[in-house]
Amino acid sequence: MSVSKPHPHDSAPLHVTGAARYIDDIPLPANTLHLAFGLAEIAHGRISALDLGAVRSAPGVVMVLEAKDLPGDCDCSPSNHDEPLLSGAHVQYLGQPVFLVVATSHLAARKAARLAKVDYQPRDAILTIEEALAADSRFEDGPRIWERGEAGEAIDTAPHRLEGRIEMGGQEHFYLEGHAAIALPQDGGDMVVHSSTQHPTEVQHKVAHALHLPMSAVRVETRRMGGGFGGKESQGNALAISCAVVARMTGKPVKMRYDRDDDFMITGKRHDFRIDYTVGYDDDGRILGLEFQHFTRCGWAQDLSLPVADRAMLHADNAYWLPHIRIESHRLRTNTQSATAYRGFGGPQGMLGIERVLDHVAHAVGRDPLQVRTANYYAPASDAAPAVQTTPYGQPVQDFILHDLTAKLAAQCNYAERRKAVAEWNAANPLIKRGLALTPVKFGISFTLTHLNQAGALVHVYQDGSVRVNHGGTEMGQGLFQKVAQVAAARFGLPLEAIQITATDTAKVPNTSATAASSGSDLNGMAVKAACDTIRDRIAGFLADQAQCAIAEVQFADGMVSVAGQSMPFAEAAKRAYEGRVSLSSTGFYKTPHVAWDRIAGQGRPFLYFAYGAACSEVVIDTLTGENRILRTDILHDAGASLNPALDIGQVEGGFVQGAGWLTTEELVWDRAGRLRTHAPSTYKIPACSDRPPVFNVSLWDAPNREDTIYRSKAVGEPPFMHGISVLMALSDAIAACGGLYPALNAPATPERILTTLDQVRHV
Amino acid sequence: MYAFDIERPTTVAEAVAALKDEDAQALSGGQTLIPTLKQRLASPSKLVSLSGIAETKGVSADGGTVTVGGGTTHAAVAAGASAYPALAALAGGIGDPAVRNRGTIGGSVANNDPAACYPAAVLGSGATVVTNAREIAADDYFQGMFTTALDEGEIITAVKFPVPEKAAYIKFEQPASRFALVGVFVAKYADGVRVAVTGASEEGVFRWTEAEAALSGNFSAGALDGLSVSADGMISDLHGTGAYRAHLVAVLTKRAVAAAG
Ligand SMILES: Cc1cc2nc3c(=O)[nH]c(=O)nc-3n(C[C@H](O)[C@H](O)[C@H](O)COP(=O)(O)OP(=O)(O)OC[C@H]3O[C@@H](n4cnc5c(N)ncnc54)[C@H](O)[C@@H]3O)c2cc1C
Repeated sequence: MSVSKPHPHDSAPLHVTGAARYIDDIPLPANTLHLAFGLAEIAHGRISALDLGAVRSAPGVVMVLEAKDLPGDCDCSPSNHDEPLLSGAHVQYLGQPVFLVVATSHLAARKAARLAKVDYQPRDAILTIEEALAADSRFEDGPRIWERGEAGEAIDTAPHRLEGRIEMGGQEHFYLEGHAAIALPQDGGDMVVHSSTQHPTEVQHKVAHALHLPMSAVRVETRRMGGGFGGKESQGNALAISCAVVARMTGKPVKMRYDRDDDFMITGKRHDFRIDYTVGYDDDGRILGLEFQHFTRCGWAQDLSLPVADRAMLHADNAYWLPHIRIESHRLRTNTQSATAYRGFGGPQGMLGIERVLDHVAHAVGRDPLQVRTANYYAPASDAAPAVQTTPYGQPVQDFILHDLTAKLAAQCNYAERRKAVAEWNAANPLIKRGLALTPVKFGISFTLTHLNQAGALVHVYQDGSVRVNHGGTEMGQGLFQKVAQVAAARFGLPLEAIQITATDTAKVPNTSATAASSGSDLNGMAVKAACDTIRDRIAGFLADQAQCAIAEVQFADGMVSVAGQSMPFAEAAKRAYEGRVSLSSTGFYKTPHVAWDRIAGQGRPFLYFAYGAACSEVVIDTLTGENRILRTDILHDAGASLNPALDIGQVEGGFVQGAGWLTTEELVWDRAGRLRTHAPSTYKIPACSDRPPVFNVSLWDAPNREDTIYRSKAVGEPPFMHGISVLMALSDAIAACGGLYPALNAPATPERILTTLDQVRHV
Repeated sequence: MYAFDIERPTTVAEAVAALKDEDAQALSGGQTLIPTLKQRLASPSKLVSLSGIAETKGVSADGGTVTVGGGTTHAAVAAGASAYPALAALAGGIGDPAVRNRGTIGGSVANNDPAACYPAAVLGSGATVVTNAREIAADDYFQGMFTTALDEGEIITAVKFPVPEKAAYIKFEQPASRFALVGVFVAKYADGVRVAVTGASEEGVFRWTEAEAALSGNFSAGALDGLSVSADGMISDLHGTGAYRAHLVAVLTKRAVAAAG
């Protein structure tokens, strides 16, 4: 069978030879126009005068649009209708698009965009969490609060209590392919859009809205993206809408792509968070009561901030049974880029909060943090009712495998011996200190907005036996298309090569959800399976009829179809079915069972299941400078019965490295004027291949999902990102070797921040 | 970038003549100048490319002096300055391979970026900057960030480094650009020790004279115990505070002494 095998990515040869086509590689029709935005230079205020004369008369410029020239507000928001395509007079962040240049080339458009003369009346900008709190500048009326039990009382009556705070920065997606879109006008005002989006249906919806067309008149196609990471879930809307609006006005094809600096300045990033905590615990470090306050900067528009902040709350427990807990979440509106989806979608921030608490408590009780972590774990998986514990939001934790998984990883990576070795090293070396940490991940799988948990597929079998598969998921390098093709091949008993992979297309499969929430394979794999099974059953029914045998006697395997013991190639079966006037095309549909969620009450079962894993990282720091390095990382990750171990391990490796980058080198810096100062690779450091740990052992916990997912696999896109937390905790552990105080290390843990924390720890 | 003319002289004399035009500017490896033009921070009407001038290329060693032609790339110095290993190592640690294959010592020293590596080697070695017109001692040459003793249209044809007994350069990289957040060059000569610091000060590269005095008596990291530089006047920017930079100066100087052996 084609599933469970480590097939390489279907486009791997194209990726490495440069032959894979991205939006920017699509050959353009004659007379294509190109767009560039002119960006606001202040963070907050009014435009008192906008002189675009020089822009209009610049070489190659065809026209220049301000907000008032658009056919309506051309809203770009995925949620709250609060993102006009162009600012109008009211500027809400530095980098906000103010006007749109239409020119005969990309370069002409960009050059002209710089020629505008803009007079501003600046107002005070709200840039920080503290400023937003002081001004009560927020989304929703007040903080969201979810609680279980009596956290305050439990803390008060606990033998010990402590308080703390962790600040964690945002993160630029840094997809290698920047945002891009092309609009091709069609007969009668219809529009075709190529977009580098994780969410073609959303682009279709927003373009239709901007053009005052029904969705049926707009078709969006996405073959692949060069990375998305959540940054292309909603942020591509502005480009697609701009192209479509100009294509409508001019009747010409229109293309837009962001230069990297513009991409940084315009688009949203991961939400930065401040998390305050008060915890009551016993002598063993068992948590008895816990209060969290989450504060996050959402930026100028709502975008996906509410579900992101919700997911942070939903992961405030990570792997731990917290009988009494209160979580208060503040979603703050600031004059900065509108923070958006990013791998983990708030989950990593919430999880880092509780991991910090566990680490702090372990330090206070003087125990190995791993011991304190496992002591607080949920009860092992069991169907015996009294043993089933629930999350703070009321979902039973029925599949908890972390006891065994942690024990196995700890054994594989010699945790206990290395803990001793690290202590010995630290005792012997005054300047260079080592640190070790083993941290778990429990990540909820499903969209928390329940209705998004559906998917469609369209499968054709042609009379020569070839198969074309289409579904609503998008390919961004993660390998979704290959996994889904493996499913289709398995259903027809065909070799993988027989399955044709095709671009995502809203005209083939409608009403799709974003390829997000790690759910691409879960949802689309199931939908394709349903479509394939329908066709297979039709062929089987027809052949059984002809051979006068039972349908069960028709078998599909190894490229052959056997009917009551007689075998023929699949192509022959397809030809016969076609000639017998059997429909060889089918849609497929899937909706995730069992999920139900009330986000206001904070109660229900938002997730079908949890994906698990654990990571152990060892680091070394130079206590004179804060310089640091990861020496070794071991990861054991739960991908259920993996559909494709090669792709899954790739996701685990990449996720870990990206997570470690978030918490160490990737630092976003805004100045006091609200200008993002890190907007290029010369100032913003993502990990390179050479920054991965020199010893890096990744393996899969290969056991079937308890839930009935596609071949019992588990989603793997986001969960491994959070293995990066082990690096921050290991750095903190290394600092702890230098003094008595708890090292309250913030992220990203740059060398300077490590040194500052070292000084705090040393100068007790 | 604005439009400009370009000339490609093949001798220093031709280049000097071409640079007589008021709006002309020398172009060497272009690793600094081209980005500057792209950002429209400069708008010369004419660029005079120095890359076709053979007489300013190459590394030679002679009687305790290593001479590097002004048009020699960082990569060529890394490969060719074996007579002065600390200098070769410094050149080999600049930027990335693309930068090292294009960028030149003349461009770096003329530009005098406060975070550049070469100024530390030139000042730390007490080198001599040779131009088409004269020879300038390092101590007179550097005059604050992006400022040098060069006159309008003057071309660096070579830099002459007296080879020390021992030397080392230690750079603390800003991880994204790999420029020096702080870099320290230490060189021990028969008549004393020189310590030059780059990346740290708002005044550009400078000599840390207290460290030089301490090391001249006792060339060991321990001789620096208790010495520190003030954070006043240190660069504070998105990559680090002045206090952190001042702290790094002391740490890196010790490392450089240790590395020099
Ligand atoms: C990504 C990146 C990383 C870098 N990292 C480092 C680093 O780690 N350390 C470091 O030191 N540098 C670094 N640099 C800068 C690099 O070393 C440059 O090459 C150097 O500063 C300029 O040399 P150039 O030959 O490219 O000069 P150009 O860019 O051509 O010229 C720079 C200036 O010098 C003038 N000039 C050039 N040659 C002469 C001459 N012979 N006489 C008089 N004036 C002249 C020009 O008119 C211009 O004003 C980096 C650059 C980049 C792009």
